[in-house]
Amino acid sequence: MRMQTRILALAAIAALAPAALAQGFVPTRPVEVVVHTGPGGGNDVLARAIAVIAEKEHLLPVRMQVVNRPGGNGNLSMAYVAEKRGDPNTIGLFTANMLTVYLVSPEAKVTVRDLTPIARLVLEPAVIAVKADAPYKTLADFIEAAKKNPGQLKQSGGSITSRDNVVRQLLQKATGTRWAYISFPGGGERIAALLGGHVDLMVIEPEEAGEHIRAGSMRVLAQVSEHRLPGYPNVPTLKEAGFDVPAVPQIRGVVAPPGIPKENIAYWEDFFRRLTLTVSWKKYLQDNQFEDGYQNSAELAKFFDSFTGQLRDILKEAGVKTVR
Amino acid sequence: MEVLTSLAHGFAVALEPGNLLWCFVGVFLGTIVGVLPGLGPPATIAMLLPLTFHMNPAGAIIMLAGIYYGAKYGGSTTSILLNVPGESASVVTCIDGYQMARNGRAGAALGIAAIASFVAGTVGVVGLMLIAPPVARFALSFSSPEYFALMSLGLALVVLLAGRSLVKALLAALVGLWISSIGTDLFSATSRFVFGTMDLLSGIDFIVVAIGLFAIGEVLANMETREEAQMIAVPKGLRNLLPTWQDLKDCRFAFLNGSIVGFFVGVLPGGGSTIASFLSYGLEKAVSRRREQFGKGVVEGVAAPEGANNSETGGALVPLLTLGIPGSGTTAILLAALVLWGFKPGPLFIPENPDLFWGLVASMYIGNVMLLVLNLPLVPLFAQVLRLPPYVMYPIILGVSVVGVYSESGSLFGLALLAGFGLLGYLMRKIDYPSAPLILGLALGGGMERALRQSLMMSEGNLSILVSRPISAAILSLAGLVLLIPLFNKVNAWRLQALEQE
Amino acid sequence: MEEKKLNRGDFWSGLALAALGIYIILEARQWDYLGPEGPGPGFFPMWYGVAMVALSAYLAITSALGKSGGDGAAIDWARVRRALATWLSFAVSVALFKVVGFVASFALLTFFIVAVMYRRPVRVAALTAVLSAAGFYLVFTLALGVALPTGPLGF
Repeated sequence: MRMQTRILALAAIAALAPAALAQGFVPTRPVEVVVHTGPGGGNDVLARAIAVIAEKEHLLPVRMQVVNRPGGNGNLSMAYVAEKRGDPNTIGLFTANMLTVYLVSPEAKVTVRDLTPIARLVLEPAVIAVKADAPYKTLADFIEAAKKNPGQLKQSGGSITSRDNVVRQLLQKATGTRWAYISFPGGGERIAALLGGHVDLMVIEPEEAGEHIRAGSMRVLAQVSEHRLPGYPNVPTLKEAGFDVPAVPQIRGVVAPPGIPKENIAYWEDFFRRLTLTVSWKKYLQDNQFEDGYQNSAELAKFFDSFTGQLRDILKEAGVKTVR
Repeated sequence: MEVLTSLAHGFAVALEPGNLLWCFVGVFLGTIVGVLPGLGPPATIAMLLPLTFHMNPAGAIIMLAGIYYGAKYGGSTTSILLNVPGESASVVTCIDGYQMARNGRAGAALGIAAIASFVAGTVGVVGLMLIAPPVARFALSFSSPEYFALMSLGLALVVLLAGRSLVKALLAALVGLWISSIGTDLFSATSRFVFGTMDLLSGIDFIVVAIGLFAIGEVLANMETREEAQMIAVPKGLRNLLPTWQDLKDCRFAFLNGSIVGFFVGVLPGGGSTIASFLSYGLEKAVSRRREQFGKGVVEGVAAPEGANNSETGGALVPLLTLGIPGSGTTAILLAALVLWGFKPGPLFIPENPDLFWGLVASMYIGNVMLLVLNLPLVPLFAQVLRLPPYVMYPIILGVSVVGVYSESGSLFGLALLAGFGLLGYLMRKIDYPSAPLILGLALGGGMERALRQSLMMSEGNLSILVSRPISAAILSLAGLVLLIPLFNKVNAWRLQALEQE
Repeated sequence: MEEKKLNRGDFWSGLALAALGIYIILEARQWDYLGPEGPGPGFFPMWYGVAMVALSAYLAITSALGKSGGDGAAIDWARVRRALATWLSFAVSVALFKVVGFVASFALLTFFIVAVMYRRPVRVAALTAVLSAAGFYLVFTLALGVALPTGPLGF
């Protein structure tokens, strides 16, 4: 386009924009969904699933494009979204881990708390598993053994701030026991450590454990979940097993750049609410053994506060320094 | 014999016209993905996933796997021609490959890379086919002490990469170790050496350092003069553009080395093609008769790492398909793909889906042949790239480096780091510090520290865990032996001197 | 008698690395050397920091004493200037990515290298710059969909 035509076009759009906003926001460009992992990572898969379902159920007039911004322990993706202040076509996916990073890293200058909460989407429960030939048939057995040998039993998991360790901290505190926690950066390594007999216990996603249980190499002692998962009808939840600890889920949801107008927020809220009501979404949750954790924007904001408070206490007990 | 019937059945699946086509598409795409820095198998596979929903699962997995191992073939191209590693696994190929190109043997280097990839890739598939379940079980017995020993062995190979000054090589390796610590500590959530920035919290990407030191450093060094003599000689005649029989003979051990080391390192969940290629290169250099010439352009120095990173693919599929455990980024996506199509990779996957598994195995044999046929004739074509005048080539190398880094990270900070490491690469050349040890330290440092801390956590602080377990003791002894090689050399030199003086 | 030559590269790099090593040690002291469950975040850095200081001090000292075997050749500053000028132009072009986008900035870099560093005629430089930049745009942005930094004009 010649420069003059381009300028005229821009001017026309600028003149029309307020009119468009007044009618209630509708996206006209592809929507960018920013995730903090590379392709194949947790939020990347979720974003792509959302895009597919949105298309299938005709929820959005434009397509969704996944933008990967890994790094900074998740904060680079948040910083990217924050840079798009006021942009109505960008949203980002967050996980609860980002709240932890917010508490723990002073270098995190821009975090998920600086962005506009839109919706909480998914709660991922977990199960507690041991190797099939371990002597523990229930979680109580394991705790007993831990009481007799303090610090000698081992659990494999992710970083010290991950949900795996949070569950461990809660259990240790509730039962007055302790056992070691060994971090492995990849899920594959954690499972290999368990199956190889190098650690005694792990907290694992229900989907991941499924096949190992079927093959008879793993046994599940308890579910980290409020209600029994359909895939594990015979496994007690933590509360049912007699442990009064909250079932800490991995949480995923949506945020948007700061400074977007109210109609924009309302639009996204509405979109995600309708998304969670579709059959495709329900099937997605079921296939992956996730729980529907839908909360709208206001509820999510409150959740951020309460969850952060809980995390702060847990981390302090775990001996991790918090800076906020 | 059951294996042969299953394999025959697999070929029946793989040779169906539709699946053959998908195999070709996959390996072709994979080659392009590998040649071009800035596009990696994980991203490509993720992009193609939605398209696979409408395909039959056998064809889909055949295609995606084709992309995976095809990329390993292509990755050596820019490494050899431009000193730009196409992906992390190709970094080691730069060391001798680029030197061969500078000596006018680009064609031989590219050709031997393709041949080694074929031989080792096929061996990897054979391994997957024959010994997957027992090898997977063996891999489970590998834990942190063994990983620590393996990383120590890898780092001990520094002494073989030393060149003239051992002290400088060690210092470079230590700097590499330092860079590997930058970021958030996994075990304590402490930030180390991040200089207060958010961008460094996840550490510095290996590929940024590798491309900066190798590619940009090389361009800067070449910019010192303006002479036309900079242009790299491209030999005329087809015979000079492919490896000679002598080359193939020289690489006999390298083919074996690459195949075995690559496969076994690939099987380990914590392994990876970068480690595999370093170990294979180091092993090759250790046993070679002309080890002083490594780094100046010897064929085995290309054949070993290239073979390793191809058979690593076969190895990495072992834990994925026998246990449902992904070992690397690409296998993680393949796992996600399998789950998406309704399969559940785990210990029962192969018995319950024989068509899929054997079809895949058979297709990998076919794919490797396709890749050899695709790549060898392209060698003379690619070698022509070197005919470009330097003033065209060097900006292109800079541009390709930028694309390679930016597409992985999407951050301008990464590009700033690239520029910084480029300058470092140039300075290191000027004051004669070898870059390979730095890269080695960076590649292995993080894993080594993690493995050590995990081991000590497992043993509650008892160091003897590292030597009480047979495998780790064996590997550590090997590392110790490697460290003594310079000593052997010195003693040998004195002995010869003494003999001469008699 | 052979003059003891100071190998300047070795000497100064030895000092610089010793400084880095000391920095590493100082930082490492702020973290736990041994945590409750094993080595802490300060363990590894302390070890390689100490090794770095030791080896770099050895290097600096032996080069000061003229024993390190380097040739001590005089540095050809003209060559170094050319290389550093190229690096500077690269760094500037990276800084410009955000401002004018990859394609434009890369074209400028290419023009600079061809015209100034290689002293080719302006026509040749301009042609190379435009063709290379266009080539990148075609191959990466259009054909492969690889995102490159974009400027205000959208490329």
